[in-house]
Amino acid sequence: MRFSFYLFLAVLSSIIVLFILLPIVATLSTQFYDFDGLLEALGDKAVWNSILLTYYAAMLSTLIAVVFGTPLAYLLARYGFPGKSIIEGITDVPVVIPHTVAGITLLAVFGSNGLIGSFSPVKFVDALPGIVVAMLFVSIPIYINAAREGFSSIDIRLEQVARTLGASPSRVFFTISLPLVARHIAAGAIMSWARAISEFGAIIVIAYYPMVAPTLIYERYVSTGLSAARPVAVILILLSLAVFVVLRLLLWGQKR
Amino acid sequence: MREVFLEVSAEKNLGSFRLDVEFSMSRSYCVVLGPTGAGKSLLLELIAGILKPDKGRILIDGKDVTNLPPEKRNIGFVPQDYALFPHMSVYKNIAYGLRRDKKGKRKKVEEIAEKLGISHILDRKPTTLSGGERQRVALARALIIQPKLILLDEPLSAVDLRTKEKLMEELKLVHSEFEIPIVHVTHSLIEAVTLANEVAIMMDGKIIEKGKTKDVFSSQVQEVADFLAVKGLFKKLSDVFEQWK
Repeated sequence: MRFSFYLFLAVLSSIIVLFILLPIVATLSTQFYDFDGLLEALGDKAVWNSILLTYYAAMLSTLIAVVFGTPLAYLLARYGFPGKSIIEGITDVPVVIPHTVAGITLLAVFGSNGLIGSFSPVKFVDALPGIVVAMLFVSIPIYINAAREGFSSIDIRLEQVARTLGASPSRVFFTISLPLVARHIAAGAIMSWARAISEFGAIIVIAYYPMVAPTLIYERYVSTGLSAARPVAVILILLSLAVFVVLRLLLWGQKR
Repeated sequence: MREVFLEVSAEKNLGSFRLDVEFSMSRSYCVVLGPTGAGKSLLLELIAGILKPDKGRILIDGKDVTNLPPEKRNIGFVPQDYALFPHMSVYKNIAYGLRRDKKGKRKKVEEIAEKLGISHILDRKPTTLSGGERQRVALARALIIQPKLILLDEPLSAVDLRTKEKLMEELKLVHSEFEIPIVHVTHSLIEAVTLANEVAIMMDGKIIEKGKTKDVFSSQVQEVADFLAVKGLFKKLSDVFEQWK
């Protein structure tokens, strides 16, 4: 009885893990037989430009998420106020909107005839700022929720005691709350950075050019075919995994 | 009659719980005694300024502090689990309340650590300390701001019996040496009998009796008598026996 239950757990779990792993392993191993294609892609400047652009834009998006998302996360974790649940709902909206739709809604604001885009000196359509706002829109819920969970996990007594010791609310925030959620903030930033890198739908609507890596891969797939798209995909998989693993290890190292 | 030092007359509605307290004490060691859920911690939060009353006022040494935020009240607060800042060393914990005075900082911290016998652990992190050490650090951190009043929330509930006896002696010493009035909240009769000059008994969000320790313990009020006779709400007879062991 007990054994069959463990078997049941193991089999179903293995299937879902394989489901995630197999496509990646299959892509990598197929590419191995077309090593020349990979080398060619590695020497392609357009590929590197798109990858660097993707990482750079995702980094900017994450920085904005941290600067503006952290105070909101603290507010939501610590204070009750009228309309709080509405604000909470709003921060989760990007998760439920299809990404092409998100791109269209962003056009309404940042497009050349949009609310902000029509007078802004910064150009969003087909430009880096457009990529950044698209990434920010889809990744901000991930960051806010991670940071908020961090703030909620702090014992409120710590903040209260700090106040009785003469610290103002802002001093408490910077000397107690913020250092204690540093790990949550870092983890949330990594996840939202990863989410930003993987964005495609919202980006192609607002900024098809300059091409981020997912757009480039899509374009090569549609225009030339799998043999042109896959090597770029492989490079992106390997790089993203490497970055992801290094960042996780750094975090893990800090914990110990 | 001794002079009134602290006076709380406040109401606070917290949904299912209602706090309605009339509390006062002189510059003494006052133990607020009551069962779990009586609202003792909430009373401390009111005094510390963490909780704002809906109605009423709080006077400390004749001064109305009702609308002052915690950082302006100069009250030392030692919560039940001590709430030591886990990301700071013991030294930084104690020094947290000292801010601008950089020169004398080291000396002040060392002085108070010496008095409480924790000089040897100043470089350690709170997570590595024993219950008794933690309490001394929390006390040092509260005392260093030279507070007008110290609030202790169940200060002895997290330590073993042997440490408890020692710490009770130390609390007495702290009170007499630093000459700071103390409000000590507990559900333990032993602590009240051992430490208090004054006792207040709290139940269901109300102070039902207060005064000098010996007067309260000979109270004729039925609820108080019940409580002290370890009846009624205070059923945990075993708890008391354990403390006598």
